[in-house]
Amino acid sequence: MAERGPVQLTGVHTISALGRGTGAQLAGVLAGVPAFRPVSRFDTGARRVDAAATLPDAGALGNELAEAIDAACRDAALSTGQRRESALLLAVQGGPGVPALAAGLATRAGLGGPTRAYTTACVSASSAVADAAALIRRGDLDRAVVAAGYLVEPDQYALFDAGRALATDAAVRPFSAGRTGLLLGDGVAAVVLESAAVARRPVAALLGWARTGDAYHPCRPDPTGHGLARAVAAALRRAELPPEAVGYVNANATGTGHSDAAEAAALRAALGPAAAHTPVSSTKALHGHALEASGLLELVVTVLALRHGKLPVNAGWLGPDPQCPLDVIRDAPRPATTRYALSLNAAFGGANTALLVGAA
Amino acid sequence: MNGVLAEAAWPERGDGPPPPLPGFVHSAFHPLVAAAAERCLRRAYGQRPAPDGARIAVVLVSAAGDRASAAHVRATVAAGGRPGPLFFFQSVPNSVAGHVAARWGLGGPVVCLAPTGDPRAAGLAEAELLLHDGDADRALLVLIDDAPDDGGAETAVAVLLGEETHEDQGTAWPARRRRADRRR
Repeated sequence: MAERGPVQLTGVHTISALGRGTGAQLAGVLAGVPAFRPVSRFDTGARRVDAAATLPDAGALGNELAEAIDAACRDAALSTGQRRESALLLAVQGGPGVPALAAGLATRAGLGGPTRAYTTACVSASSAVADAAALIRRGDLDRAVVAAGYLVEPDQYALFDAGRALATDAAVRPFSAGRTGLLLGDGVAAVVLESAAVARRPVAALLGWARTGDAYHPCRPDPTGHGLARAVAAALRRAELPPEAVGYVNANATGTGHSDAAEAAALRAALGPAAAHTPVSSTKALHGHALEASGLLELVVTVLALRHGKLPVNAGWLGPDPQCPLDVIRDAPRPATTRYALSLNAAFGGANTALLVGAA
Repeated sequence: MNGVLAEAAWPERGDGPPPPLPGFVHSAFHPLVAAAAERCLRRAYGQRPAPDGARIAVVLVSAAGDRASAAHVRATVAAGGRPGPLFFFQSVPNSVAGHVAARWGLGGPVVCLAPTGDPRAAGLAEAELLLHDGDADRALLVLIDDAPDDGGAETAVAVLLGEETHEDQGTAWPARRRRADRRR
């Protein structure tokens, strides 16, 4: 098959501490009220920090993933036959059960195409989206379901606490002065991607994507942001758009000192003069960091905001940080002025991804 | 046309345990990945950094990740304890992939997969997709089996994939020779 036009996003579903479904996500991010609370899901008595964004009625991860996949397929109005031809790209935390989980979810949802499982930390979901788009563009597939999930649990919580990565003031403050770290959050999401040839009900177009590495350090980001800047530039090139076309960036920004500064440097380098007036926020300040699922939850939120025409605030703002000279959305949602937005993610290992979407 | 430019394993004949890896503790997972990758890249390039590293991807394929460290963390947390801070950094396979990338100047994508079928086929498919899609010109594929079902030794295999260039032909060990040596 020959390469075809823009890859289309045709079905979406997600849950987070903001609620269940896309309506709850949109309402939650536009309300701008962070969902962090003391943790009741497990004992945090031995931890330095006691805060996360959890959905009170969240079920087992496998069940939540299955429901999200089914909901996204229904949203895209996929028939049984279309499901049978669909691939499943799953993004979850690594572990002995991952291959079986992927196979089981594909069977349960009737997805009969190839199955892949991504365990590449906080760029797992965004890498899966990029790969799904690449498989469709190469002509391997007409449709793929990308699903991702992370529900806050005691082991990762303890590790982030031990690594002194968690915010000590129960708030995530991306790009802000006084930021003290990240907080974890639930996130389960699924999207359907289809080729332009078969997509009937586009929600948004995935116009650009890119993955790069920092080649800098096992777990610290390159302070120059060079790797992430290359990802943004490559996504723009693939979309054939200039930096000025980008009307919103849902940043990776976790509320971590050096990481947010590196991302600001990346945006200044990749967008050039346009960076000074490109609206930026990180919705992690509202729904928390969903680790392997973060890229998909944030992509869905970005698409919903873009379609609605209002861009979510960067919650937790205390004041400007000279190391993050960006046009951060503060106080209230801002009207969207263009159809295009970037969703950025970065991970340990210096892994970076950029996804560029256009509202349908 | 993309092919195998260099390949290596740890252990190969005469090897003991992989060298310790500073910053990584408790488990052989990360030292095995690093040792196999280092040997493969040395066969390809001789010395660090890789001159064309800016567009070399790292693809790490592992069915279960670092099981030993995950089990240690789980037991520590279940007992109400605090895991050591190094476990935070090594809790995801990205970290050792990033170690290799930083050491050799590999600036392409970093992707870690749990194979749903044959691990080598899964890794090759991912590497070929990245090359076709344009985010990388070459890919270092590392396959690790740190708990073989048959109870055998833990092993890691590293393969450098891509097109052979004029510069490669100028090195002391052409790719065909490197592959032949590996088979001996």
